[in-house]
Amino acid sequence: MPYTRSPITRLLPLFVGTLAVLGASFAVQADATLEKIEQRHRLVVGVLLSGGPFGSIDPSNQKPKGLNVDMAEDLGRQLGAEVELVPVLPANRVQFLQQGKVDLLIANMEWTAERGQQLGFVPTPFYRVGGTAAVLKDSKITRWEDLKGQPVCTSQGSSYVKPLTEFGAELKAFKSSSESLLALRGNNCVAAVHDATLINPLVADSPEWQNYRAITPELNPAPSVIWTRPGETDTQAKLDTIVKGWHRTGWLIEAEKRHHITPASPALVELHDKFQASGA
Amino acid sequence: MSHWLEVFVQWAAKLGLNYSFVLDAYARDSLLQGALTTVWLCLFTLVGSLLAGVTLAAMLTSGKPWLARPARVFVEVTRNTPTLVQLYCAFLVLNMLLTQAVGTANPLTPFAWVVIVISLHKGAFHAEALRAGIEAVPAVTLEAASSLAFSSRQLLWNVQMPLAVRFALPSLVNNLIDLVKMTAVASAIAVGDITYASIMIWTQSDNVLELMILLLAFFGLLSFVVNCVGRFLEARLRMPGYGH
Repeated sequence: MPYTRSPITRLLPLFVGTLAVLGASFAVQADATLEKIEQRHRLVVGVLLSGGPFGSIDPSNQKPKGLNVDMAEDLGRQLGAEVELVPVLPANRVQFLQQGKVDLLIANMEWTAERGQQLGFVPTPFYRVGGTAAVLKDSKITRWEDLKGQPVCTSQGSSYVKPLTEFGAELKAFKSSSESLLALRGNNCVAAVHDATLINPLVADSPEWQNYRAITPELNPAPSVIWTRPGETDTQAKLDTIVKGWHRTGWLIEAEKRHHITPASPALVELHDKFQASGA
Repeated sequence: MSHWLEVFVQWAAKLGLNYSFVLDAYARDSLLQGALTTVWLCLFTLVGSLLAGVTLAAMLTSGKPWLARPARVFVEVTRNTPTLVQLYCAFLVLNMLLTQAVGTANPLTPFAWVVIVISLHKGAFHAEALRAGIEAVPAVTLEAASSLAFSSRQLLWNVQMPLAVRFALPSLVNNLIDLVKMTAVASAIAVGDITYASIMIWTQSDNVLELMILLLAFFGLLSFVVNCVGRFLEARLRMPGYGH
């Protein structure tokens, strides 16, 4: 007798699938990141590798390097988890975190009130950084107000978009900072605005950038924090201890020196003194 | 106007979609401006790509090696490399070299580069579609035309092209629909099209889903318009006993 499926059996795969999906979505409700770290010893970190001392690809072995990478590796070491690095861009990093492609973001993403409502973050910052503009040496621009009505390059998702719009700059936001900087050199804009930690070493050291200078003071200095998915308070508390430890032991100041991040951040010294005094 | 927008926002909120950004004048203006830029991009690239396509097809089928060979090389190189890479190469490399050569007098804007790159890219595809049409014109028709003392240029314009376009129309329309969608690459070099405007909004606030729906609907609509025009032309140009 040929085997025929009853209507219920025919729908069985659908039921099983639905149950599996529901089960998965309930499992996410607990603080999934910490659970994953403790159970499976895995940690997926989104890092920004846009060039410069914070994150770039080492040309000799094609591996990511920089302060972002060092921090991610050290988190893994202290938590006893295997770290998987995922390169992200300013334009997609929030989506990567929200969709669970990465568990944490160490991606030069500064804290702002809007972002603080959307996502979770580790309260102690690991750095403080503001924006600066690279302009031609003979350019007339010396203050931020001079950018009014001028074409200014930046990257999509940059936290300087809002303040620059308020200055009345005509923004051109590229996929990432590398395209923005190339566009500046192609004369498509009068200035390129990015993190000071990216611009300063370029204009100071790179021979290709000798015709450019950076403008001061820094625009909207803001704390750089590690981002998590919203509500993951257990993970945040755990990471906060580690970040405080970085400050107390001077690990971050050393790492800053190791990666030749200039000028050295006064915020790091401040935080080092603060946590050493409190002994936290 | 703003009343209707509020009604829409409230209606969308019931579905769990947060469209409140359309009430913000700045976000709304940049989206509308973006939509307009996309429409302009489509119109310019549409005309540009057809011109490039006809020229390339004429070169390819000219039977003169000094015309046909460069055209063949161009078509192969252009259609075998990604549009985004071509755009980056043109805008970030060629444009920089041009600026270094002529200084700030460089007249080519990012918008112009997008039009040039997409026109040439899609032109290569049009050329192949048109070549199929040109080569499908029966030899007897050409012989008949030659016997009326048509020069080779007259032959191409008055006999081959009109017939070739009829053959190639479905695949030309296919290419043009692809072209409409291709204009989204403009956002990569900060041309303010609708994709760029959406990225700028969603990187500042959390409404990716809402903007994605809007983007898909907008491009869907534009492609549908091209599709309708194509169908209309097909019906209009139809010749009894020829093809259909």
